[in-house]
Order: sequence, then C-alpha cells, then structure tokens
Amino acid sequence: MAYREKLAWVMIIVMTAPGFWYFSRIDFLSGPGGQTPAPNFAIVVGYVALVIIAAIIGSILIAISKPSEADPTLDEREHRILDKAARWGGYVLSTSVFVGLLQYGLNGDGNRLFHIVFGCLMVSQIAEFAFQVFLYRRGV
Amino acid sequence: MAKRPPITNRVKELRESHENMSQAALAKAIGVTRQTIIAIEQGRYSPSLESAFRISRVFNVGIEDVFGWSGK
Repeated sequence: MAYREKLAWVMIIVMTAPGFWYFSRIDFLSGPGGQTPAPNFAIVVGYVALVIIAAIIGSILIAISKPSEADPTLDEREHRILDKAARWGGYVLSTSVFVGLLQYGLNGDGNRLFHIVFGCLMVSQIAEFAFQVFLYRRGV
Repeated sequence: MAKRPPITNRVKELRESHENMSQAALAKAIGVTRQTIIAIEQGRYSPSLESAFRISRVFNVGIEDVFGWSGK
C-alpha cells in the first residue's frame, strides 16, 4: 500500500472518531424537546485538537513503519489523485452546505446551521480522503 | 472496475530484461514512486509524456518500443 494511501486511511479514522465524539457532545447538550444547542467553541477546539494530535501520531507511526517510503514529495500520479479527490470533496462540501442552507431557510435555526456546516466540513474532508483511497486502488 | 486507458506498455518486460531491474530502481531513475511504476505496469495509470520519455531513455529504446496504443 502506498505511503499516501496509508495516510488517507489514517485521516479517515482520525477525522471520523472525533466527529462522532463532537456530535455525541452536541446531542448531550441538546435542550428539552430536541432544541439545538448553541455553538460551543470549547467542543470545536477540542475536536480540532483531537484531530491534529491523532493525525500527527498516525503520520509518525506510518513513517516509522516504513521510513524508505515516507517521502512527502508527490509524483505526477499522486498529484492527479489528490487533485481529483479534492475536486470531488469540494462537490460534497458545496452540496452539503447547500442542504444546510436549505434547512436554515425552512427552519431558521442558526444553531443547527452552525453544526450542519461544521459537520459538512468534516464529511467533505473524510470524503476527500475516501476518494483518495478509491483513486489509489482503482487508478486515475 | 474503471475503464483502462487504451495505452499498452512493455515496462515490466523491459525492466526484467534489463538485468532484472527492480521497480524501486526504475521509480528512482524516473522520479516517481514505486507504486506508480506498479500502476503503469498493471495498466492502471498512463504516465505523462515526460515520464514516458524518461522510461524509454532508461531502457535505451524508442518511446514506441515501450508504449503502444490499443484504442481505435
């Protein structure tokens, strides 16, 4: 498995697990009747910190496991894979943000909009890494 | 399964007839990763024109001796 494909797998795990943690906290803070809690920046910062720390640890472990392949430079094929995955990830982001805005237009719930947009950022990043894995395996 | 590019190649054959050159050595010689050489050999990736020329230079053959066109 290519070094960058391993990194993509790590990032999928690293972003998904704290994502569940983030939304479980938001669910826990929900008011009576399922009222959407206001944005809580302590949880947002906690999520970002968790992702950064886990990503660093994951990258180090991958590099240690096979140092000869731990090259940060991209070759032409990897450039194409990453570009294509980023473009597809952008489609996921724009579509999901549009759905979030549609929700805001219907319900006028700004708190929910915040959580949806933050969730969209997570989902689009996870999708981008998933697309990278797909393109590494299928070919580009 | 993705549609394969209509470009065939003899990279593996040439590599093996070239003192059994390793994929890693060829990758280093043309400046790509070993996985890219694997993808080229398996027909999952068509290299850029520059890399195609670099590969043919490594084997001291013409580019058409390495790559072929199987499409219409």
